[in-house]
Amino acid sequence: MVYNNLLLLIFIPLAAGIINIILPRVIAKLSAVVSLCINFYLIYLVYLGDNAPFAFFDTLILSFSQMGFFSLIFIQLLSFIILFFSLKGVESSIEKMFFILYPLTVAFCNGVVLSNHVFSFLIFWGLSGLTLYLFGLLGKTKEAPKTAKKTFIIIGGSDALLIMGFVIIWLLKGTTSWSIFELKTALDNPASIIALTFLLIAAFAKAGGFPFHTWVPDFALDAPIESAAFLPASLDKLLGIYLLTLMVTILFEIGLLVNMIIISLGTLTVITAVMMAMNQHNGKKLLGYHAVSQVGYMIMGIGSGSALAFAGGLFHLVNHTIYKSDLFLTLGSVEKQTKTAELDNLGGLGKKMPITFVMALIGALSISGIPPFNGFFSKWMIYQGLIEKAALLQPVYQLWLLVCIILAVFGSALTLASFMKFLHAIYLGRRPKIYDDVKEAPINQWLATSALSLLCIGFGIFALRFPLSKIIFPAIESNGIIVPEFLGLYIPQLIVMLFLIGFIVGMGIYLFTKKVRYDEVYLGGSEPLEKFRVAGTEFYNEIRNMKPLKTIYDMAEKKYFDIYEMGSKSTFALSRVLQKGHPGQLQLYILYIIIGLLVFIALI
Amino acid sequence: MILPYFIIIPLIAAFLISLIAGKKDQWAISLSLIAIIAVLVLSVYSFIIFQKETLIYNMSGWKFPFGIVLVMDALTSFMLVMVSIISLTSIIFSVQYIRYIDMDWKYYSLFMLLVTGMNGVIITGDLFNLFVFMEIALFAAFILVAYGRKAEEFEAAFKYAVMGGVSSILVLLGIAILYSATSTLTMAKVAEELKLLNPKITLWVGGLFLVGFGLKAAVMPFHAWLPDAHSSAPAPISAMLSGVLIKALGLYVIIRIFFNVLDAPIIFTKAFLILGAISILLGVFLAIGQWDLKRLLAYHSVSQIGYMLLGLGLATPLGILGGVYHLFNHAMFKSLLFYNAGSVELALGTRDLQKMGNVVKILPVTAQTSMIASLSISGIPPFNGFFSKLIIIIASIQAGEFWFAFFAVVGSLFTLASFMKVQRYGFRGENIIEIVKEKIGWQMNIAMILLAFLCLLTSLLIIPGIKEVTLDPVVNVIVQKAQYFNLMTGR
Repeated sequence: MVYNNLLLLIFIPLAAGIINIILPRVIAKLSAVVSLCINFYLIYLVYLGDNAPFAFFDTLILSFSQMGFFSLIFIQLLSFIILFFSLKGVESSIEKMFFILYPLTVAFCNGVVLSNHVFSFLIFWGLSGLTLYLFGLLGKTKEAPKTAKKTFIIIGGSDALLIMGFVIIWLLKGTTSWSIFELKTALDNPASIIALTFLLIAAFAKAGGFPFHTWVPDFALDAPIESAAFLPASLDKLLGIYLLTLMVTILFEIGLLVNMIIISLGTLTVITAVMMAMNQHNGKKLLGYHAVSQVGYMIMGIGSGSALAFAGGLFHLVNHTIYKSDLFLTLGSVEKQTKTAELDNLGGLGKKMPITFVMALIGALSISGIPPFNGFFSKWMIYQGLIEKAALLQPVYQLWLLVCIILAVFGSALTLASFMKFLHAIYLGRRPKIYDDVKEAPINQWLATSALSLLCIGFGIFALRFPLSKIIFPAIESNGIIVPEFLGLYIPQLIVMLFLIGFIVGMGIYLFTKKVRYDEVYLGGSEPLEKFRVAGTEFYNEIRNMKPLKTIYDMAEKKYFDIYEMGSKSTFALSRVLQKGHPGQLQLYILYIIIGLLVFIALI
Repeated sequence: MILPYFIIIPLIAAFLISLIAGKKDQWAISLSLIAIIAVLVLSVYSFIIFQKETLIYNMSGWKFPFGIVLVMDALTSFMLVMVSIISLTSIIFSVQYIRYIDMDWKYYSLFMLLVTGMNGVIITGDLFNLFVFMEIALFAAFILVAYGRKAEEFEAAFKYAVMGGVSSILVLLGIAILYSATSTLTMAKVAEELKLLNPKITLWVGGLFLVGFGLKAAVMPFHAWLPDAHSSAPAPISAMLSGVLIKALGLYVIIRIFFNVLDAPIIFTKAFLILGAISILLGVFLAIGQWDLKRLLAYHSVSQIGYMLLGLGLATPLGILGGVYHLFNHAMFKSLLFYNAGSVELALGTRDLQKMGNVVKILPVTAQTSMIASLSISGIPPFNGFFSKLIIIIASIQAGEFWFAFFAVVGSLFTLASFMKVQRYGFRGENIIEIVKEKIGWQMNIAMILLAFLCLLTSLLIIPGIKEVTLDPVVNVIVQKAQYFNLMTGR
């Protein structure tokens, strides 16, 4: 076999996954780590320019592209950190399978972003969906098989549409080449619009965009939490948004109306998911809904057609994978210590698990878009790009876009609100007695979450110096898009300074006027009972019970908006109707044959 | 000459078994294994060696076109390989499974007759001869369906026999019309003569054959016998019926007659497209509502036959490639699924998905191989079903048939959904089952593992370099319709 860096990037984790089938657990972990380390080295080689494409039977299969390289870097980075977290703590009964699937998934995701040929893209895409399903089956909850099934029906089903979409644009293009990069199609006929729709469905299903997002919260709830951080929060986002990026840059020539539709879908994703997230009682499900909600911002940015918002969308993608896996992993640490992720039962763990608490706090501030953390920076870019775009539009579109922007900003505020609840319910408030013996998470876990938190801060403060200028802008410019100057008044370093000054002054006041009295809480003269503890899950019950919202929430809880549940209900209804035609009577069956024969005779 | 052995070997085995097998079944098993392995080796050998040429054997020395001829080209040997692989694994699977029902040599004897009939249909070049072999296979199949001797099995066999009778009448009528019009029964000669005759004859005969063989292939709306028969038969027989019988007797004959003899008139290829799409969609919708595992699988056979017919109906080389490839792949994963169902039925005593449970714990081999088969049939890479469906979808879009491509995609989506249901309830359900009624022996496991490997291995057939020497010759036989009789008549 010819030595080829791109091929090795897929082959090495693939090989690690396959040999892990026979290796004992400890060595399997080691082989996974080693394979990812080798991949870092390979990425470095590719970065230096050793990126020859890989061809098989004279057909180009893998090739280097800036956009793919961007995704590749973050696939490797996130995989490595989450793997580090998983080294200790994965439930022992599934550990073996976990460390087989893990490198395989990395290999398949690398395959997707390195593919040049449509077929290899489709195959790797499908394979990454398959490992997602297998991860889902590792879940230990009662609902896990059901969730895995739902996930795979949505993901695998959208794969079939993806195939059809690609083949349609290939036919429209009329080439013999199956290279992804030579398929650019104008949206001027119904077939190309169908193709766009199918590809959009596939990208949305993978990344978790409305209305194909419903598997994400369920998966977060039922699958092992490491895999929730690994796939729906990180790698699947990278892949889904990678496809969306391909669509808007090299597959289709997108017009304004399509931009607006994609932006609106993004807004819907933001607002519906965050509204659902606010009312969750389970931490994992809450994070799952936020994993959906944040995709909305990326979709808005990337689908907008504005260079700045596009860059913002990609940056938000990166930031999201970082802070969302951070949040999932900190919650994972908590769950492993307390055996539950139900917010109603948790509380007051901040003192027992201080490091985890701080990391979760950083993640929560980032996701809520508080400066100077990274989430703020990317959202800022998206908003600014959209507003600049709105300024150039006709009044109708202007209004439309502004509504979307306002809803998105509102979504951001609700995100902050729901993370206040999340933090309060787990780390603050009064601690239930049973958690008195809880200890800080093991070192590998808090090292992993710390690394992610550091990235949150670093990417926020040095956004322009490193991630944007070194990785994201080159990826965008390779598509011929130039990002304009944009920062306006926002200087992250200045904000940090101001925050620090404020913090120091505050601490100073606190230390000099230290008059704090610690006391036992009494209620009616006696110690308060367990049931009087404020869990924090009830924070937003007022919103839940507001007039029009209550009906919507009730309907959502009955899964009326879940495209999967509705689809399965109608399918079974159709199936019952058809079965009535098969009662087992021979006469009827013979009648079918005669009718068939007669129809055919009538035709000729 | 190698050709007659494909019929003689299983036929002799069938009679030898009835002669020398005593009360025990060891002799019957070893004889049938030897026969099947011999046929498998011969068919693989001929597939590799005689790929580019057409072999003809004149029975009893009667010269073409007066006597009965046996013909072997790439399509024939391809089908023979498929039949032998599934027969071999079914025999291996049967050893324990049939002992559980009844220790009996008759089963093996009938099984050999079934194989004789199928091989005969595939290899013969004579229309009436084809009919005779078809009846041999069918009679064996009727009895084998009722082999379990329960009321519902007798009922299913009875229905099967009636519907089979109807189809045989239609086929016989078609053959009679052809004979009276062309005065010959040799397919190549018929093809030659038909060109000179009124095209209406082609249409009428084609219509009769379409319904007659459509019934055998279980194409909608002629499918109604299949769910009963295939779900009532013992599992290895279901695997034979769904995996190869409906293809050997139904689809293969449709390909042979419509493409090589009737020259694929457009009205028929269009009919294939429409019937294919109806079968795909209605079949899968019927399947997804079933809770009886074998019945669900049986409806999926209807749906999958639709894919093959759709591919053939496109009548483009790529479409035919997809159809033929899917035909082979389907034999692998559908037979495997029926073995899985049989193994679960043996171990748990139920076919009801809701009564199954943690099968993955108690029958790991069955559960894992069923996962592979489910993924294959749902068209998930890297398993074989993905590639054949991909080709069919590409071919239909390439032929401008967007809607049919869309139906194929929708069908594949619901196939996935219904096999996810099978996995979720059947193999990874919540019911905790502790007691296994019958332990699954190594023979059954071997049969399942073999086919699971084949589900993965046959994906390789599509790789450039391998495709040219495996699938392309088969497609050539079908695409170059006239070559069949040209070669035979020596032009």
